[in-house]
Amino acid sequence: MHRLRVVSGHLSPQNRLGPYSHAQIARSECSASLPVAADDIVVVHGLRTAIGKAKRGSFKDTTPDELLSAVMSAVLRDVGLSPDKLGDVCVGNVLQPGAGALMVRVAQFLRVESMSLRSVGNPGDVSSRLMDNAKARDCLIPMGITSENVAERFGISREKQDAFALSSQQKASKAQERGVFQQEITPLTTRFVDEDGKERTIVVSKDDGIRPGTTVEGLAKLKPAFKPDGSTTAGNSSQVSDGAAAVLLGRRSMVEALNLPVMGVLRACAVVGVPPDLMGIGPAYAIPAALRKSGLSVADVDVFEINEAFASQAAYCVEKLGIPMEKVNPNGGAIALGHPLGCTGARQVVTLLNELKRRGKRAYGVVSMCIGTGMGAAAVFEYPGN
Amino acid sequence: RGLVRSGCGTLLVLDQDEGGIKLIRSFDWNDGLFDVTWSENNEHVLVTGAGDGSVQVWDTANPRGPLQVLKEHTQEVYSVDWSQVRGEALLLSGSWDHTVKLWDLERPQSLCTFRGHEGVVYSTVWSPHVTSCFASASGDGTLRVWDVKMGVSRLVIPAHNAEILSCDWCKYDQNVLVTGAVDCGLRVWDLRSTRQPVAELLGHSYAIRRLKFSPFHRTLLASCSYDFTVRIWDFSRPEPLLETLEHHTEFVCGLDFNLHIPNQVVDCAWDETVKVYIPASLADLQPCAD
Repeated sequence: MHRLRVVSGHLSPQNRLGPYSHAQIARSECSASLPVAADDIVVVHGLRTAIGKAKRGSFKDTTPDELLSAVMSAVLRDVGLSPDKLGDVCVGNVLQPGAGALMVRVAQFLRVESMSLRSVGNPGDVSSRLMDNAKARDCLIPMGITSENVAERFGISREKQDAFALSSQQKASKAQERGVFQQEITPLTTRFVDEDGKERTIVVSKDDGIRPGTTVEGLAKLKPAFKPDGSTTAGNSSQVSDGAAAVLLGRRSMVEALNLPVMGVLRACAVVGVPPDLMGIGPAYAIPAALRKSGLSVADVDVFEINEAFASQAAYCVEKLGIPMEKVNPNGGAIALGHPLGCTGARQVVTLLNELKRRGKRAYGVVSMCIGTGMGAAAVFEYPGN
Repeated sequence: RGLVRSGCGTLLVLDQDEGGIKLIRSFDWNDGLFDVTWSENNEHVLVTGAGDGSVQVWDTANPRGPLQVLKEHTQEVYSVDWSQVRGEALLLSGSWDHTVKLWDLERPQSLCTFRGHEGVVYSTVWSPHVTSCFASASGDGTLRVWDVKMGVSRLVIPAHNAEILSCDWCKYDQNVLVTGAVDCGLRVWDLRSTRQPVAELLGHSYAIRRLKFSPFHRTLLASCSYDFTVRIWDFSRPEPLLETLEHHTEFVCGLDFNLHIPNQVVDCAWDETVKVYIPASLADLQPCAD
């Protein structure tokens, strides 16, 4: 502490000249910097399947349990952990029948989605009183309309949305070309039925939604997808997709006792509520909440994985929080990669930690997403350094 | 070869060739290491000053641990400097305990303790011209010049109204020194008339952490700062700031010139990187004819 005081003394305002002499400097404790504690929640390992376009792509004939089991087994196999050592399994999904069942003490998150086999339009059993409450009613607003609401309310133009979408496609294409995703994708052998009804076996190891040839002109030609005079199109929205991801978590003391590696540390997470009709702004509120809990600021974080449900909301959140664009989704996001709804959170964690691992040094990353019906979630992860 | 000391207790010995920078040897200490100096006698030997007040002598040929540990200072050793006089194994250490100590590495105890500073000592540097003469810079705002044959400072210059974190001697004029302080300014001094500085170099926006005069040019020097930059200056010019290098993302705390490759500079920062380069402003200069 004495040394910190000495250094702080070197930085005190009365000693500074130049343009920064009026800026306030203060030291603040960073709880995220506590090096190692036995009850830290650590990420041991994570993998994902490739992401396929729904209904036409690689996994159109693959059932979600296949996706799930492939990715789950691959994670356990890589670290040599037998399934009987797992304390709990938590499966996230949005559209599967019985979604949301079983949440106990968490030792493992698995995310899976097949949007090919389930339809978005069926909300399931809800009370008729739903329609009497404005906010409850707003929960039924289609996601695309919430994107239009955000675009209109906050002035995110069509051009800005298309530029954001282009950037996602370019980053994802470059990453795919450089083989960046090979580390995080577990190849899956599955059935595929051709146009002529012939069934064959394929090995899926690449995301099939990325469009390397995307141009601003091409995006500008697309018609609005949700509202006649709107700005949200298929090109600047996340794709409807199939995929699964699995992240293995554990308490550090147990992870060390089992001789497992530590790929990352969960430092903080936050969930916030936002108006359902503007659900896309979720990250703009969830990220500051998670950062506050971890004692960090935007400047301390090297990479942000902010889900691109729609370019409108993603661009809005990045701007509102003043996050430098080069820190956001450096390997592309859901607009290019696809967005299998219940899978994306775990997918982002896997992509984030692999990116920090590639960069090598100790660093912080944030995963965040908006949630339909009006929520935002964010988590701060620490990569311990090579 | 270059080397790096680190606040978390590791000494890294690095070698630079056409292929880049390689780690040759690394030594750990259980407290932060704040300064390092090469031996003038033995190309494998180097000395560090540590946060626990001790001074370590290392041999790169001996990975097991330090050859010697000299423990007398009662607070952090922030500066170590090996005498440039060939044949001597004389070392200076400057400490936050307000003292400077002189060591002969053939002996386990210090030869002399120099008292006088009223604040932490940040920097101690042998004169390259006058044997037995050295300078020290302190948190008490003074630059002091000492002669080892006298136990007290022969000159006290109230160089800044702020803590002075670094000082260095001009390699071409035995009367000229530079100080860098927490007030963000560098001041060049002539010991023959110390009432005011020869030059005041302003530009850094946060405290200066380290200064070095060029081994190849009389009026050129480099500084690094908490403002993340390294700056190159020529104090003989009316506009002395030649170049500002902004290649770090954290406090730049270490800096030196290569004695063997003209104009090559090495620096290190809290962003955990070490950089070796020839600043553009120096690349075109001819070496000094002095």
